[in-house]
Amino acid sequence: MRSFLNLKNLIFLLAPFSIFSCVNLKTVQGFSNTSSTGLQQFEEIHYTFLDHCQDRCFEIAVHEFQLERELECECGDFISADSVTQVIYSTINGYLLGLGELAQNNLTTYRTNDLNVALTAQQLGPVSIDESVVGAFSALSNTLLRSTTDFYRRRKIASYIEQANDPLQVLLKKFEQIVQANLKGELQFKKERLYGNFIELKLNNTLESDFEKRKAGEDYYNALLEINRLEKMIDIYAKSLHEIADGHQVLYDKRDKLSLKDLAVDLMDYSSEIQVLYTEFNKLNQ
Amino acid sequence: MANLTSEQAKQLSDNFFMLSTALLDFRVANWDSLSKDDHQILSDARSKSLEFGEQILALATSLIMNEVAESLDTINQVTTDIKGTIKNLKNIQKGLNIAAAILVLGIAVLEKDPGKIGESIKGMVGAWGEG
Repeated sequence: MRSFLNLKNLIFLLAPFSIFSCVNLKTVQGFSNTSSTGLQQFEEIHYTFLDHCQDRCFEIAVHEFQLERELECECGDFISADSVTQVIYSTINGYLLGLGELAQNNLTTYRTNDLNVALTAQQLGPVSIDESVVGAFSALSNTLLRSTTDFYRRRKIASYIEQANDPLQVLLKKFEQIVQANLKGELQFKKERLYGNFIELKLNNTLESDFEKRKAGEDYYNALLEINRLEKMIDIYAKSLHEIADGHQVLYDKRDKLSLKDLAVDLMDYSSEIQVLYTEFNKLNQ
Repeated sequence: MANLTSEQAKQLSDNFFMLSTALLDFRVANWDSLSKDDHQILSDARSKSLEFGEQILALATSLIMNEVAESLDTINQVTTDIKGTIKNLKNIQKGLNIAAAILVLGIAVLEKDPGKIGESIKGMVGAWGEG
């Protein structure tokens, strides 16, 4: 019995587990992390429904020359809109971060140093274990541990992707709708109000000197450019939401083959596209 | 009466937007022939159209909440499950640390060294409490 359990036999017994554990979840981790980074760019847009309400309140007060000690703005509906947006955003982000963390390789890399030190202690009573045997045992036990936990992880990840895909597609679609149709829609109103204010200035002939006219023209186009910049950022952001949704759909379609190379190839397109959009977005944000 | 959907609210907002641009375009096209009162009426109507449109657009966003409630619940549940799995996987590390600490305690007991026993117990408590 003792000879059967020597090191060679142990290696032979554990080899299949070891090969199995080589299968990594980098593709899932990479996609989740890239998606989460892309999603978090929402925080860089720096324009909320509440911002819009306060800007509007300020613009109306200036246009109508209303002078108050404190400018009071009715923004309840806009605050609610921000809350809904935040709930959806945080939910999607929480899921992507969790998935990325679960797929991390070091999650199942365990440190057995403490155990090794304890096993090799000279004062282990009547039992004496050689240091090299302890090292080999530790390496093999870690492999076994890792292979079983990796198998468990892969099964869990596939099941989470399956459960999450449909609701995630709904949430990403609605989030895209909020950002691209509603938040960007508010900017359209901002643009229209700006145009109206300046066209009134022009047609009322209230600007007399060339200098005043040019200054007003400059102010108008600067404000317009700033709105256009925000609109572009929102468009790019919405595209990345689309890529995240499509990428997750691929994960779902191939959830039973998460370790295959072709999944990595399939997802690479989505991850690269999200990264390109990320760079484009950051350029506008500089 | 059926509740307004987010899409319908968005459509309504678009209508107010079109109305406000049409009112301004009309005013601009007839600027010199409109009386001061006409200007004021058209300007007020346009401002109100813009405000209604913006308000409804914010409302359209809030209405989405009703449409995604079920999806939010499901994703939150999956995320909670994922966190539970991560915790279980991290607990394996905790188990390894406790095993090492128990072994050290055993050695101290064999040595009948009260000082070492005390230290080892502290180490074990520490390993138990981490994570």
